[in-house]
Amino acid sequence: MKDAVLRVAGLAAMLLCLATQPSHAQEELKIGGIGPLSGGGTAWGLALNRGVQMAVDEVNAAGGLKVGETTYKLRLVMLDDAYTATGGRTAADRLISLEKVKHIIGPIGSPAVLGALSATDPSKTLLFSDGFAINILKNDSHAAYNFRSIDTTIEFAPAMIQWLHKNHPEVKKVGMLGPNDATGQAVLPMLAGFYKANGIEVWTDSFDRGAQEFVPLITRMMAQGVDLFDLNSNSPVDAGLMLKQARQVGYKGLIWQVGGPSVAEIMSVAGPLAEGFLSLEMFDFSSPAGQKFAEDYHKQWAGIMNVQTPLWYNTAKILFEALRRAGSTDVDKVRASLIAAEGYDPGIIGPVIWGGQADYGVNHQLLVPFWIAGVKDGKEISLVKILPEKR
Amino acid sequence: MFTLASIGQVLVNGASLSAIYVLVALGFTLLFGIMRVVNFAHGAFAMLGGYALYYFWGSFGVPYVIAVPLAAAFVAAVALIAERLVFRWFYQRMFQSLIGLLGLNLALVYSAVLVWDVYERSIPPAFAGLIEVYGLLLPTDRLMVICIALVVLALFWFFMTRTRHGLAMRATAQDLEIAETQGIDTVVTYRIAFLIAIFMTALAGALYAQIYSLSPFMGDRPLLVAFVVVILGGMGSIPGAALGGVILGFTESFLSTFYGASVSSFASFGVVIALLIVRPWGLLGIPETARA
Repeated sequence: MKDAVLRVAGLAAMLLCLATQPSHAQEELKIGGIGPLSGGGTAWGLALNRGVQMAVDEVNAAGGLKVGETTYKLRLVMLDDAYTATGGRTAADRLISLEKVKHIIGPIGSPAVLGALSATDPSKTLLFSDGFAINILKNDSHAAYNFRSIDTTIEFAPAMIQWLHKNHPEVKKVGMLGPNDATGQAVLPMLAGFYKANGIEVWTDSFDRGAQEFVPLITRMMAQGVDLFDLNSNSPVDAGLMLKQARQVGYKGLIWQVGGPSVAEIMSVAGPLAEGFLSLEMFDFSSPAGQKFAEDYHKQWAGIMNVQTPLWYNTAKILFEALRRAGSTDVDKVRASLIAAEGYDPGIIGPVIWGGQADYGVNHQLLVPFWIAGVKDGKEISLVKILPEKR
Repeated sequence: MFTLASIGQVLVNGASLSAIYVLVALGFTLLFGIMRVVNFAHGAFAMLGGYALYYFWGSFGVPYVIAVPLAAAFVAAVALIAERLVFRWFYQRMFQSLIGLLGLNLALVYSAVLVWDVYERSIPPAFAGLIEVYGLLLPTDRLMVICIALVVLALFWFFMTRTRHGLAMRATAQDLEIAETQGIDTVVTYRIAFLIAIFMTALAGALYAQIYSLSPFMGDRPLLVAFVVVILGGMGSIPGAALGGVILGFTESFLSTFYGASVSSFASFGVVIALLIVRPWGLLGIPETARA
């Protein structure tokens, strides 16, 4: 009797499952994601993960992405690169070989991007990365299948330094501290060149990545008589500590950051000592679109939102639009559609503009407007909006 | 270029760095000295100390003089769970403890990522001003750390030399079996030593997080510093940790200021390597052969 009851119950459950199943399942399109999800760069990896996920959720909530005759349900497959070259290569290999992904967003750090490129280029997989190294776009394959979706020093530094020279003509000598690794060695000479082009003398020194005590180096820098301290491309916490420690040992000159950007994090670390700080800013959180984005973000996650989050959301939206316009997931068609998408406005930062021909030999650099922001009365304010020069 | 005031500033910087380094190294060297445990989870307990202070002082508004020891005591009490589940299996097993506690460190750090996310926080300063003395600028938060380091060292010296439990710890550190035959309850002694070591680590972590910043990954640097300081001073030696911290702090301050960070790192680690060659047991340590 007991067995019979169990059999009937099982049959009923099966019928119920069959009845509730849709007549045909929606096809799934996997989007690859690579970023540092462990170690010190995790905040940036999470920004990418969350920004792309927000764009994916938005599309899925609207019924999916219509590409040709098929409406796809999108799924982000996010992998950790640990901010290393091997991590980038391994993640890209896995996405291409195991997950059969054709479109990847990330990685963020130059070593990881270059590692990933060694897998995505030969397999003709589209890659939308960050990374400040020039050879990410200027390479032997002419960046055939990779695009960069965030401005680098080459895009924002000349305009920022010109602005500084015009608005603070009293600045004659700049001091910079950078990590003694590939990032520091790439960025400091580049920035030094831009400062010298504006007649500003440059003093630099380096430190071990991971150090948090900068007071001795700042004391050394102050002895050189610098009147501007540029926090350059240092990580948010390093930049915040430099600012805090500089003010604590009595540095009274101007402090700004041609890099980052990480104004909120720096204010969090340096507190009231951040007053008067100037910085690159890549997103206007005070705009209506910015406020709406922050509101949506905080429905899912607490804490400070990294500024890269809306930039990766923007990247994902551009990719989805290119897929829609291409009417196919074929990589070559999507690439052509991407290039033709100039002028499309994802509604968060501004219309798509591709540049980079003069600097990299290929127009695969997304030119994103940026701001010079300042800290006044404990709040971040936007001072001026600048669009990188299309060259 | 360098004025008398800037040279004085170098001395002030050296003193404050030394104080931070001494505090960070004390708990690490105590665990090794008594239990022969290389605590690779040192940085994780320091990080937990930071979060505890963040809540007690930053969120709950507990008065600062109470919040600091309370945060350290809270972490030490909770760490007793780790002592029962993990540490106990590695007492007197130096090499096994190294790997086992590395695993514990990863587990604690990534649990912290899940609970608190990765973003950097700052613990509100208790003393944020600057005191100017004859042109020298003394940040009050650094002065506070120097005072706390001096008080902790004095209290610790008193405990180890003037109390029965301190005596029991020294006896246990010298020879476990002889200590037991003399009636010392080594299980209780170990537990007290563990509590004190984690208390000091969490205290150092709380102050470190307040001066620098707080995140699940903040423990990496204190662990590295603790290693260098105790190797310099002598693994397991409390006076050695104090001496190592002072040497490293002043060396870093002088060399970084006058010659740059690269020379400072090269010289600091060069001295440690040279010392390991000519005196592997450190400046005030005891050679393993002498322990046997």
